[in-house]
Amino acid sequence: MGTINISKKYTAREKAYLPAILIGMKITLKRFIEGFLFRKSFTIMYPEQKRTYSDRFRGMHFITVDPTKTENCTACFLCETICPADCIHIVADEREEENNPYGVKKEKKPVSFDIDALRCCFCGFCEEACPKDAIKLSGNYELAVSSREEAIYDLDHLKRNMNGRQEKI
Amino acid sequence: MSNLHEHEIKKPKVDLNYSSDKKPVHSDPSPEAKPLPKVTIDGKAYEFKPGDTIMQVAERYKIHEEIPRYCYHPGMPIAGTCRMCTVEVEKAPKLMTSCSTPAGDGMIVHTRSEKVLKSRTGVMEFLLTNHPLDCPVCDKAGECELQDYNFEYGPALSNFKEEKRVYDDATTKKLSNDVTLNMNRCVHCERCVRFTDDVTKTNDLVMVNRGWHKELEATTEAGLTNEYQGCLTDFCPVGALTWNDFRFKKRSWFLSKKPSLCDGCSKGCNIEVHSDADIVYRYVPIHNEMVNGHWMCDSGRNSYHSYMNPLRVTSPLMKHNGELHATSIETLLTEVKAQLKNASTVQIVIGTDATREEAALLKEKVPALIGKNVAVSYFNGTNGVTTAADDKKLDNLLKMKDLTPNTRGVEEQGLAALANGEISADVVIYFRSGRAGIPKMKADQKIILWGVWSLEEIKSLPSKNILAVIAGHATIEKAGSYKNADGIVQKFHPAIVHRGGALSAHQVVGVWQSLT
Amino acid sequence: MFDLSMMMAKIVVILVGTLGVVPVMVWFERRGAAWMQGRIGPNRVGPFGLMQPLADVIKFIFKETFTPRGANKFYYLMAPIIALIAPLCALAVIPFGSKAFVNGHEVILQVAQMDTGVLFILAFAGLEVYPVILAGWASRNKYTVLGALRGSSQIVSYEISMGLALLSMLVVYGSFNPHDMVSWQQGSLGFIPRWGAFVNPIGALIFWISIFAETNRLPFDLAEGESELVAGYHLEYGGMKFAAFFMAEYVAMIMASALISTLYFGGYGILPGMEFAINLISNFFAFGEVGMQNTKAVFEFISLASKIAVFMFLFVWVRWTLPRFRFDQLMDLGWKILFPIALINLVVVTIGVYYFNS
Repeated sequence: MGTINISKKYTAREKAYLPAILIGMKITLKRFIEGFLFRKSFTIMYPEQKRTYSDRFRGMHFITVDPTKTENCTACFLCETICPADCIHIVADEREEENNPYGVKKEKKPVSFDIDALRCCFCGFCEEACPKDAIKLSGNYELAVSSREEAIYDLDHLKRNMNGRQEKI
Repeated sequence: MSNLHEHEIKKPKVDLNYSSDKKPVHSDPSPEAKPLPKVTIDGKAYEFKPGDTIMQVAERYKIHEEIPRYCYHPGMPIAGTCRMCTVEVEKAPKLMTSCSTPAGDGMIVHTRSEKVLKSRTGVMEFLLTNHPLDCPVCDKAGECELQDYNFEYGPALSNFKEEKRVYDDATTKKLSNDVTLNMNRCVHCERCVRFTDDVTKTNDLVMVNRGWHKELEATTEAGLTNEYQGCLTDFCPVGALTWNDFRFKKRSWFLSKKPSLCDGCSKGCNIEVHSDADIVYRYVPIHNEMVNGHWMCDSGRNSYHSYMNPLRVTSPLMKHNGELHATSIETLLTEVKAQLKNASTVQIVIGTDATREEAALLKEKVPALIGKNVAVSYFNGTNGVTTAADDKKLDNLLKMKDLTPNTRGVEEQGLAALANGEISADVVIYFRSGRAGIPKMKADQKIILWGVWSLEEIKSLPSKNILAVIAGHATIEKAGSYKNADGIVQKFHPAIVHRGGALSAHQVVGVWQSLT
Repeated sequence: MFDLSMMMAKIVVILVGTLGVVPVMVWFERRGAAWMQGRIGPNRVGPFGLMQPLADVIKFIFKETFTPRGANKFYYLMAPIIALIAPLCALAVIPFGSKAFVNGHEVILQVAQMDTGVLFILAFAGLEVYPVILAGWASRNKYTVLGALRGSSQIVSYEISMGLALLSMLVVYGSFNPHDMVSWQQGSLGFIPRWGAFVNPIGALIFWISIFAETNRLPFDLAEGESELVAGYHLEYGGMKFAAFFMAEYVAMIMASALISTLYFGGYGILPGMEFAINLISNFFAFGEVGMQNTKAVFEFISLASKIAVFMFLFVWVRWTLPRFRFDQLMDLGWKILFPIALINLVVVTIGVYYFNS
């Protein structure tokens, strides 16, 4: 009932077992010599060497800024709306006239823009929804923190020019 | 309490009257009336009253799809300028505007024929030539008629190659402290101008210049001065007029919308409470021809702030060592009971913002619980109003002198107004839902506050001997009924869930009963 | 006095040699495994990561020493000590050279000269089962008990084939004394050395397989079986107590390698070609008979060490090649295959020796 019994007939060679062992040992010896003499390895020496992911890799978000370091975000809440993990929290307000070099284009600004990286599932919907290309997912995958609070990134952190960030165009 | 429900007004069976004559068409059909004329809309014949326009007939019968409109508003005169509502009328040479074409007997109307849809696409394309693409920052996005109709009828592409018109001065212009104008978004439907002309009759908005340069401006230096500015932002089909109090606070699609009543005055305007996570963001009027039509005043619109006050008392407080401390309702009532037992005279004062059910409860159940001869009276204390007879209209639209919602409903319980507006007994229980005023009192009188109170109000009370504060529910948090200035009883249900340990009056009385 | 000091010197040589090799072996095991798997292995501490064992030891020392609740404290502490001492004792009878002359005295290069040397080794190799079962039982943990049961039954089972393979060699050599065995293996069979492994290849193979089981090394590490028993019999050991088990495994490997070298691969008998080097050096420095014997002793030590090194490498090589046996397969191999073959081999060898001698 539902069980399939597969009986395999072993050849004399397989039953003897030792030839198979010798084949296996030949392979490991080959690898040993390759590693020992020719230093062949697939290891990436992580902190010094970084793995390069594909351009489509979705890492930590960042917020693009214009030459005056003003964020491109206009607090339209579309990322917060689309976010399936509810990890984006925005508080919007009017942008003051003096901080508004682009006039009407940026009348609204985010007062606070928090991303809870622990809730985020890195689906990239926010990047897709953003009408201003303001929120983007970088290639940054080094997100280790020592407390939960540190994993909630605010606007200043998202705007900063992180070292090693792979900005995607 | 069954007698409470006798007074409920019989609502019209079919509440469809959007015309200005304020009489429901189907509520009183006279038996000897002639057979009504019929108009065929989209292949189905509908009866109508002579004089109705096609739009009114379609609205009344709620035909399968709304006819799109910008300039037409059921509460205002017909303008027929936007051309969005055009329909095809057989045997008519051109498309007709449904808002201004009277329905005729035997008329055959098509609202979704190919010709009509093509016309709407054309209108949309023209409207969008100058409309900025700033939906992400526009507060109207999500409830915008331009967005909705463009989604349904609009062209995918525009033939407009020139630069868009930009009003440099009127991009973010404050028409008043409450309303911001963004002229770039305006589609020149002139609903706002007609509203100030015909509804509020203040004439404080006007369109200046013509054609390409047509621009909305206030007629006086002071800008908008009428008391119904919020309505402008409600019916503006685009984000040209936005309400500063709500501006940038929340996107409209996050809001959950529940019907309730405005308790800002004795009119009892029907409102929709827009909230998210039980935080109210705005009140929006809903149509009730018997009470408020389509409108509500600005002070009522802003009245939710007092309920969202962070200093509002949301848990039972009791005096201990001279200070008020949060406690459980059982502890509080046990202490209150002891105080009431020792008191020589006890008085219950009911604010006229209590619902009819609460007033009945306080009048009948609470004195029995105290077990003494207790004087029960009501108190209004707003705008110098003492009884319902003092109430009068302040303008030709909605505003009333009495700023509490239920003076008539409380009077109806057979109570008398508080003599001289002054409390007299040793221990006084004052029930109030955040709207009624504060009666005169002496500094050493023992007071038990019940209902909606904020810490500021408690501090400013003349009496410094507050025994306890029983936190109660606000209008938008509770169910009940109010009898408004016109004698109409309106029931309402909770629109949001109260915060903290606030309890309804019935819950408090229930606990009180369980203690004895 | 001289004998005593010589005895102490020999013990020190054995102890330092053995315990000094352990960290190197730990390092080599990890790097060798890494090379075989296309990795780099520990390379941060010191040159080529050679200081890694030192770092490990520092970590072990600073770890909390704890005893699980309900453990039998005495046996719990005894187990790692026995595990470490038993193979070290067995090393006492492994000769690491023929003889040397110190101050005109002849010194036999073996800690304990006894005629029943091989039996002594077998006895202490048999003690290997005690730390496993003591640790497993005294830790009061289900997994350790399971590991101990599996490990002890495995060791006991393979000891039989190992003993029979050894017995066949005793028949050939006609002596229990390791020195006699080594001297029997001097000379050559035509072009190959006259090593036990060439005289009795099946016995050598069985013995070799059995010492894997005796030392709990892959593919016979059922006592530890990480994937099913967390860590097996030493699950509840931490810090230096675990380090003792860890060292004991390598000491046992050295002991087993020394044993198989002595029994089957000529022991300290110098490797082919070394004779020439000895003569060259002796003639160059004009050593007398004493000097020549001492030079020979050094080369004998080197020979034994290199043979041990080869077997140590084999241990590592096999470990990172073969997967672990299933328990029933292990028992099948021990009792149904190795045991009969070893028995038949013993008979055949005995008959062979009888005819050869007569």
